[in-house]
Amino acid sequence: MDLEQLRKTAAEVVVREDVKYLIGWKQGSYGYRVAPVFVEDASGAAELLFSPLCTANLATYLTLVEKTPLPRGQEADKRKVALLVKGCDSRAVTQLIVEHGINRDQVIVVGCPCPGVVDTEKLAEKYPEQGKPAEVEWNGENFVLLCDDKETELPRDQFLAEKCRLCRHPNPVISDITVGEPVEPWTLADDNGVEEIEGKNLEERQAYWEEQFSKCIRCYSCRNVCPLCYCQDCILDRLNPTWVNRAVNFSENTAFNIARAFHLAGRCIECGECERVCPANIPLGKLNRKMAREVRDKYGFEPGVDPEAEPFQASFKPDDPEDFIL
Amino acid sequence: MSENYEPNIVAFLCNWCSYAGADLAGTSRVHYPANIQVIRVMCSGRVNPLYVMNALQQGADGVLISGCHPGDCHYMEGNFYARRRMGMLKDLMEFVGVDPKRFHMSWVSASEGHKWKEVVEKTVEEAREAGPFEGFRRRQIDW
Ligand code: SF4
Ligand code: SF4
Ligand code: SF4
Repeated sequence: MDLEQLRKTAAEVVVREDVKYLIGWKQGSYGYRVAPVFVEDASGAAELLFSPLCTANLATYLTLVEKTPLPRGQEADKRKVALLVKGCDSRAVTQLIVEHGINRDQVIVVGCPCPGVVDTEKLAEKYPEQGKPAEVEWNGENFVLLCDDKETELPRDQFLAEKCRLCRHPNPVISDITVGEPVEPWTLADDNGVEEIEGKNLEERQAYWEEQFSKCIRCYSCRNVCPLCYCQDCILDRLNPTWVNRAVNFSENTAFNIARAFHLAGRCIECGECERVCPANIPLGKLNRKMAREVRDKYGFEPGVDPEAEPFQASFKPDDPEDFIL
Repeated sequence: MSENYEPNIVAFLCNWCSYAGADLAGTSRVHYPANIQVIRVMCSGRVNPLYVMNALQQGADGVLISGCHPGDCHYMEGNFYARRRMGMLKDLMEFVGVDPKRFHMSWVSASEGHKWKEVVEKTVEEAREAGPFEGFRRRQIDW
């Protein structure tokens, strides 16, 4: 990835009259951190970064903007928001368009074809984070870690993030401007963690998920980070009626986790953010991938690839499977 | 499991077909197991997956959702949505270890009192096989 080209393109975009700001990544404060940045003028574009550390899905910010009521007589700011996206992030944008979460003409998608990002947890395990920022770059197949003027080669098969091992769309599915050359999609890993659980019997599965869900502290990070969990009136915050009690115990945690996974069935674009931010290390990706697989295999639907599609749970086909119906 | 274990089934029936079907079974004096607690909803498409979760949390051993036959929905297509969503929910619950025998869906029209009886018998029988639901039942907090 040519950073110069990225920064130049971004600078050209932000100076446009009809652009409010550009959301991108910049170097974080220490270690392998990468921070989101809102670039409002050409000089800010010099900070932008696109590297194997840019795991975060910035599409979340599109719906986070608070829409406060306008004082009388004041015009709404109708300028567009530009956004840097990887392949998976572009699917989130597409899905948001499908759901009318955002309007297509309100975003400028700056696509960055993505050769895959690193799993920073694994990286920090092997090469502990230091007080100052480190850099990671793509180098052919592999990654290189640049730290203390040392270059360390990071083999791809060891450090590639799980979501990338299973990524079907490394190139942005929609983009107004593309920076860099498209990448060649790679062969998917065959272990997605779902079959492993399906191989267990009911009691074992119950035991497995009881152990997992019991760890949940109901911080709702998984919801807040998700680009597609943007309901203004989330069912988990409702008190009257209280759909999911706030108590933190296995029963309520299960109800919560099932509700979350269900609400994202046919919508989750497998960016892996929920699992990455979960402080309890609950394998939320397995739930998401299980649902994504059912949606794909049984209903022939893949979310976030076609901006013209009907939302999965708000549509039906007359011949949907009904073998489970008495 | 004790010998005389009786499963608790919560049934969500749509107002226009299945509820009327169950009513017909009653007025025609068809005998069916008394394990069913009926909750009337306007449409099977109105059943939120959290209804199912809540029922299981609060003491149900099985859940039944029943609506009009495809194409007969009072609201034209509510049951098609229900079918898609409940199919997904069933897969998800099975994945986290809930016995699929606890979750059923059926199409029962207003004239199918006898089909209602069969559906209830099958639901109760399967829930009985699955035994009392322990899973994620809400437990009384012992302060
Ligand atoms: S549920 Fe997780 S993987 Fe799916 S879109 Fe949301 S954050 Fe990404
Ligand atoms: S958990 Fe459900 S209700 Fe809450 S924000 Fe996500 S999709 Fe919306
Ligand atoms: S991020 Fe993890 S711990 Fe927090 S609410 Fe979600 S599943 Fe629970």
